[in-house]
Amino acid sequence: MRPELEEVQVLEDYLQGNLNEEQRMDVAVRLLWNQDWQQKLAAQKLAYQALRMAGRQQLRRELDAIYTRLFG
Amino acid sequence: MNSTQSLPMDKALLSDREKTLERIYAKTFPMVRHYIREHGGTTDDAKDIFHEAMILYYEKTVHEQLILTSSVSTFLMGICKNLWRQHVDRQSRNTALTENHDELLWEEPEENDEPTALKLMTFVEQLGESCKSILVSFYYFGQRLEHIAVQHGYQSIRSATVQKFKCLERLRKAVSHLSIERFKP
Repeated sequence: MRPELEEVQVLEDYLQGNLNEEQRMDVAVRLLWNQDWQQKLAAQKLAYQALRMAGRQQLRRELDAIYTRLFG
Repeated sequence: MNSTQSLPMDKALLSDREKTLERIYAKTFPMVRHYIREHGGTTDDAKDIFHEAMILYYEKTVHEQLILTSSVSTFLMGICKNLWRQHVDRQSRNTALTENHDELLWEEPEENDEPTALKLMTFVEQLGESCKSILVSFYYFGQRLEHIAVQHGYQSIRSATVQKFKCLERLRKAVSHLSIERFKP
C-alpha cells in the first residue's frame, strides 16, 4: 500500500485500539505535535460517523421494504 | 427451510441479512403493533418505533457482540416499550409547555446536528456506488472482507483491503474541511 493508505490504516488501528503499546505511543506522540495528523484523525472520525449514518439510512430502507412486503 | 435459521443471530445477520431481518420482522412486528395501538399509537408509529429498535438491535449484535439471554422478540419488545414511553413523555411535555405559553422559546435539544448529518451523507453518496457499498458493508453492516472481495469481484482479500482504504481516504478528504470548520476554535 502507498504511504498515505498505510497512514489511514494506522489511524484506524489507533482508534480501534488494535495497536501494541509501542505503536500506540508512537501515534499518540505524533498526534501531539503534528497538526496535519490531528486534522486527519478528526476527519477520519467524521468519515466513520458519515458511514454510520449512511448505513442506518440503508438499513431503514431495507426495513421499509420488508414492511411493504409483509404488511403493506 | 431457511439455512440461516440454525446459526447464531450475529452470524445469521451477516450471512443473510435480508432473510434474517424478515424472519424477525414477521415474528415480532405484530406484537409491537398490538402494543402501540393499545397504548394510543398508530400502525405508522409502531413501524417507526420498531425500525429504530431493529437498528439498535442490529448495531448491538454485529458491533458489540450482544448475546441475548432472552429471545430476540422479547428484547425488541422491551426496546419498543421503552421508546414508546419516551415518545409519549416527550409529547406530553411539549403539550404542557405549549399550553402554558411560558416557555415558547424552549427548544428540544437536537440529538443530531441536521445540516451536518445531511452533508455527511452527501459525501458518502458522492463516493459512487462501488466505494459506498464497500465502506458501508464493512464499517456499518460488519461484513467480512472475504465476503466483500467476492461480492465486488476482487481477486484477493488484500486487494479488497487496499480498495477499502482508498475509498476511506477519499471520504476522509471529502469530509476534511467540514471537520476543520467544526473544530475551529
